[in-house]
Amino acid sequence: MSLKIIVCVKAVVVGAPGGRVIRSSNSCELNPFDRPPLEAALRMKEEKGASLTVLSMGPPSCAFVLHEAIAMGAARGILVSDPALAGSDTLATSAALGAALQKLAPFDLVLFGTRSADGDTGHVGPQTAVLLDLPLVGSVDLIEKKGAGLVVERTLDGFRESFEVRLPAALTIHPGFSEPRDVPLAGIQGAFEREQVETWSLSDLGLSAEQVGEKGSPTRVTAISKADRRRKCEFLSGSEEEQAEQVAQRLTEWGLLE
Amino acid sequence: MDIFLSEKNRVVRQSVRRFCEKEIKPIAAEIDRECSFPWEVVEKMGRLGYFGIQAPRELGGAGLDSVSYVIVIEEISKGCAGLGLCVSVHNSVALYPILAFGTREQKQKWVPPLARGQKIGAFCLTEPNAGSDASGIEATAIRKGDHYVLNGNKVFVTNGGVADTCLIFARTDPGAGSKGISVVIAERGTPGFVVGDLEDLCGVRANPVSSIRLYDCRVPLENLLGKEGMGLRIGLTALDTGRLGIAAQGVGIAQAAFEEATKYAKQRKQFGVPISRHQAMGMMIADMATQVDAARLLVLRAAVLRDQGKPFSRQSAMAKLYASETSTSVTDMAVQIHGGYGYSKAYPVERYYRDARVTRIYEGTSEIHRMVIARSVLE
Repeated sequence: MSLKIIVCVKAVVVGAPGGRVIRSSNSCELNPFDRPPLEAALRMKEEKGASLTVLSMGPPSCAFVLHEAIAMGAARGILVSDPALAGSDTLATSAALGAALQKLAPFDLVLFGTRSADGDTGHVGPQTAVLLDLPLVGSVDLIEKKGAGLVVERTLDGFRESFEVRLPAALTIHPGFSEPRDVPLAGIQGAFEREQVETWSLSDLGLSAEQVGEKGSPTRVTAISKADRRRKCEFLSGSEEEQAEQVAQRLTEWGLLE
Repeated sequence: MDIFLSEKNRVVRQSVRRFCEKEIKPIAAEIDRECSFPWEVVEKMGRLGYFGIQAPRELGGAGLDSVSYVIVIEEISKGCAGLGLCVSVHNSVALYPILAFGTREQKQKWVPPLARGQKIGAFCLTEPNAGSDASGIEATAIRKGDHYVLNGNKVFVTNGGVADTCLIFARTDPGAGSKGISVVIAERGTPGFVVGDLEDLCGVRANPVSSIRLYDCRVPLENLLGKEGMGLRIGLTALDTGRLGIAAQGVGIAQAAFEEATKYAKQRKQFGVPISRHQAMGMMIADMATQVDAARLLVLRAAVLRDQGKPFSRQSAMAKLYASETSTSVTDMAVQIHGGYGYSKAYPVERYYRDARVTRIYEGTSEIHRMVIARSVLE
């Protein structure tokens, strides 16, 4: 039987002129860390006939990330979108995504990127797996089907680890999994020709406004400011050999060279 | 700027930009220096649909709109003007006339390999004695039995060195003046089809611009596009679309130069501050930003009109004129902001400056475009 895979993706902010974050298709792009899980799922679709749905949470202007995933080969996109979701922290986000995943159940596999390029917490995949009581393996770079489950592998702290995982399961995919594919133009035309993206509100998910958004978030970012990162530039003089000697000396002093 | 774009157009821009950053930008200086055509990248572009942007999906194309088309050309040209030129000419003046004037059989035969980038197209109009005045064409296509026999010398053929499918403008009726000109498709490899040496050009050097000579080159009668005598009409229709692509190419080159110049102006220090803080630099940066935006808006307007099926000839002429003039002035300012480094091949603005110059010459010179616009205004 073919696997039913869901990939969770995010539109990340790439530009915030004047420090103001406005999420739109001009200021956002598909999280680069979500491309490897998409690629993993697309390969399973092509090689093993898996079905692929992409899931995201964000304002309607961020639905384009789902269209982009559809342009690459996903069959269906779900955008969880509701004004009450604004201000959700990673736990509230996981709660909303978890509710959407339950609505999409039964499924076999949920894939996440290891983190997002903007928030950079790495929370959402693991938290969602915990909320749904799914087995989770993080930073996976190899997936093989074995019997009714999967064998997955990863490299951690210099060790190669191999796991057998029963399904349904959740995985976060290591950024080095493989080179993500480029988006074909015909795929983009196809993704917009026929509406394949559905929008689900909180009521569709059976959630209340208290469970998500700022009210449902135990954490809050109170302030963000640019870190004061002063760089010191020092010019070395002398012959090339003398300069190389000075570099080696500095690196040894700093404990970077033994 | 992007308020005029649909979500689809934006996804096209982001996707093509990502591809060009990854695949084209890193090799652009080298392929310019070496005059080499990057087949490996071109094959990838073909698989992604860049060679059939507006061709119908059932014929192997992407089926996108004209706005997407100009976006793709702008983004590729931002990375490498020679490749932007290749894709623009292939899509607009080689592929599009077959879609617009070809029979069902011709479309089935020629379009899918062109749209998939498996074959590269070229538009062979210019001759040593015919350029702005297309009616001066001397090449001939004389009917003999079930073939046309082609003879002529086509020069400055964009993509000439790699083109498989060439639209040849030739006289089928040498005595009928401009009404005797027709378009016949000739394929590389046909006996008598000879590709000349590559031109050693100032810019767009990654494009294998060459001459194509035809010596008693026999092609079947079914390779006639449209009807005999329709050549100039086909050419002018193709050029309306073609100049939209070249306008987009100009915007892409200008955008690249603008980005490099602003980056440099913030980094380079003179008199104790980044040169961007000096008013003279600020004035240039303001002019560059304004000209690039204005050029892009003109290009988008013409593309939108085309998508709406409305006349866009005058607007595309204005877009081509303004974008190509902008391209040369913005790249000139980018070199000026870079000072001595701008004149060095160590920085990309030197290449942009060379690439921009030709946009005022090909697919209709700025002077011809001014004539077209003036005629349309005064009529």
